[in-house]
Amino acid sequence: MGYIELNVLNTGPAQSALGIDLGTTNSLAAVWRDGRPQVLKVDGRSSLVPSVIYFPGDGQPIVGREAREQAIADPEHVLFSIKRFMGRGLKDVASELERLPYRASENERGLIQLEARGRKYSPEELSALILMKVHDVACQSLAGQDTKKCVITVPAYFDDTQRQSTRDAARIAGLEVLRIINEPTAASLAYGLDQRGKGNVVVYDLGGGTFDVTVLSIEEGVFQVRATAGDTHLGGDDFDQRLADLARKAIAAQHGTRVLEDPGFQQAVRLAAEQCKIALTGDPEAELHLSIPELRISWRQRVTREEFDALCADLHERTLTACRQALSDAKVRVSEIDEVVLVGGSTRMPGVRSRVESFFGRKPHTELNPDEVVALGAAVQAHILMGGRRDMLLLDVTPLSLGIETMGGAVSKIIDRNSTIPCEATEGFTTYADNQTGIDFHIVQGERELAKDCRSLGRFQLKGIPPMPAGLARVAVKFHIDADGVLTVSAKELGTGANAHIEIQPMHGLTDAEVEGMLSEGFRNAREDFEARRAADLATELGTMIQATEKHMNAARAGLDRESVRDLEDALTAARAALQSRDPKALQSSRDQFERATLPLAALLMNNVAQKALMGKSLGEV
Amino acid sequence: MSEQCPACGAQLPTPLACAACGALIDPPPGLSPWALLGLEPCWRVDAGELQKRLVRLSRLMHPDFFAAAPQAARDLAGRNSARLNDAYATLLDPARRTEWILTDRGAPSAQAERTMPQSFLMQVLEWNETLDSARETQGAARASALQNLLAELSPQREALLGRLGSLLEPLPAPGSPALLAARRELNALAYLDRALAQIESLRLSA
Repeated sequence: MGYIELNVLNTGPAQSALGIDLGTTNSLAAVWRDGRPQVLKVDGRSSLVPSVIYFPGDGQPIVGREAREQAIADPEHVLFSIKRFMGRGLKDVASELERLPYRASENERGLIQLEARGRKYSPEELSALILMKVHDVACQSLAGQDTKKCVITVPAYFDDTQRQSTRDAARIAGLEVLRIINEPTAASLAYGLDQRGKGNVVVYDLGGGTFDVTVLSIEEGVFQVRATAGDTHLGGDDFDQRLADLARKAIAAQHGTRVLEDPGFQQAVRLAAEQCKIALTGDPEAELHLSIPELRISWRQRVTREEFDALCADLHERTLTACRQALSDAKVRVSEIDEVVLVGGSTRMPGVRSRVESFFGRKPHTELNPDEVVALGAAVQAHILMGGRRDMLLLDVTPLSLGIETMGGAVSKIIDRNSTIPCEATEGFTTYADNQTGIDFHIVQGERELAKDCRSLGRFQLKGIPPMPAGLARVAVKFHIDADGVLTVSAKELGTGANAHIEIQPMHGLTDAEVEGMLSEGFRNAREDFEARRAADLATELGTMIQATEKHMNAARAGLDRESVRDLEDALTAARAALQSRDPKALQSSRDQFERATLPLAALLMNNVAQKALMGKSLGEV
Repeated sequence: MSEQCPACGAQLPTPLACAACGALIDPPPGLSPWALLGLEPCWRVDAGELQKRLVRLSRLMHPDFFAAAPQAARDLAGRNSARLNDAYATLLDPARRTEWILTDRGAPSAQAERTMPQSFLMQVLEWNETLDSARETQGAARASALQNLLAELSPQREALLGRLGSLLEPLPAPGSPALLAARRELNALAYLDRALAQIESLRLSA
């Protein structure tokens, strides 16, 4: 029996760590200072960073407000709503991609990549750029104090892959993640609801792209999550889209449907819809207004709050369905709820507020700025993790059941949803053939009966089982979900008692090597600069080579065999294409191809030079 | 129960950690959920008391309190918290804790003992028919069909738990005929719980 001794009383002075809300629309950092969590401010202004990235023609990507301002001017090079793509494959986000002006593709392992300026970026890399910006701003407002430690929030309903992606993004950004915590839980910490004694709390969190509802009970400083439910594809963006659809329909009727394809139009209609939605928060009636002189569009329509609510009725209903589910899982009745907390910018919509109020029969808390409350709560958790206080304890849950696909394609549950984390379960496996040394299994997350309807976390392979007759091997596979809600799988062979080392190959998410690669790639895009410089050098070199070769093509056709000539012609074509694309990899490979193809020509020319020299001609005439 | 801390010798509230010196302990696998929570094994549990224990013991080993500790301690805190949480969940759920007792005492497994009174199986078929027809209906008709079925099943479940309580309290010795009877009740509980879960999911999807 091993044990670990720790002097828990001597934790030393609390250093500060950042609480970061990495949002779909905006991101923000907060820190524990002067006995309370505070949003960081730069020159008195909130350090809210729009989660938007702009890729200019030259130089480094720009993140935040400046990037957002480019959305209409240069829509093809602005990326936003990146959080919706975290840990997702192409087919998961097909509906999003329809209405976002992105070029997206999938890598060989089914991970989505977004394209900007001819380079592919994983959502993790893009989120890392946002995190770096948030961190930069935070360091500025902390008077240059650089803290790499942070707590990052995610929607409670994020699955394992989405959480891993978030953790990887932070690693790429060079941050040390103390903990991933759930946004609604963070919000309940920010409200300091433990000060009110005991009670049941509902947190209704409608963000830019995700919806979460969490039921927790609070007693004596313990925040125990009872249940969480939600929809990672439901947020303020969807409400915008309802207004945008209204505008699209009307404008297509006037101008034809071709205009709908225009990237500038797409961004403009999105922004117009968002503005109208925001205006409807303050006013009972607002104008949905689009003016794009280049497309000769000038269109306006008045929209009332009632009309807007009617357009979004099914979206409201979806949030309430999730509320019913969470209450049912928590085994708590509506009448037993003591407090309701609203989180997320989208809860500013009066239609959302009134529905939540009538559903729960009480006025929800809205004292804290819904854009800041999550970051504030993350700062509280960061403070706890840095040893700042031991009176508070957060017991959160895993939002989705974890299961293994059975032979028939059904799911055998191994960890139930809403289990308190950390949690673990052990499952026995055996071999079905003699001398079988590997076992494959497929892990899924979700509540559906069939594996194909759940979220695949990937196929795992157990390797290194000692050869023995079928059914004799007894492999115990342990599934551990840690306090971040992230799964690790380990295995032991028990049959032989040999304690063989069973290797497990996870087949999803970024591999460690990929994260390392992105890390070394660099920090602050050093690689980007390096690549750009290298591309420029290669282009110059190729240009010279093309010129020289073209000059000698007649000599080549006269003096070389047909195959060598064809090689040269191919190399020329490839080189011209590479110069067009400016892609460093293409430049490099065509330069190499060129070098090989010109070898016979070089030999021929050398030969000619030698002969001509013998005939008394000068080198310059060759 | 009252094991001593290998680090300071104080009495342990749980085999997983010491309250006196804060040491995390890595006990061998296979300890009962009662032992992990520092309780005497007993079929009946007090949910309130269980909850208090979970919180009190979590304060000794939750990974949040070891964020600044060395990796080995962080890992152990995570593992021990997972064991504690699993023990809590097992005791809170009557089906899971009964299963633990029956397996521990060598009762026949659910697969080995499948005898079920004919009358009970007929009942199960009737519930399933009611559920199927509820699935076909909508609105008030569905709600009232589900309500009626719930009103029928809830008292049955209460009665079944009462019978399990009298069979397993005090805990019977291995080989006792009470274990076989309890296994049959537990099989019936699985049918009941499945039907109740279906009622709830139909109610929510209304």
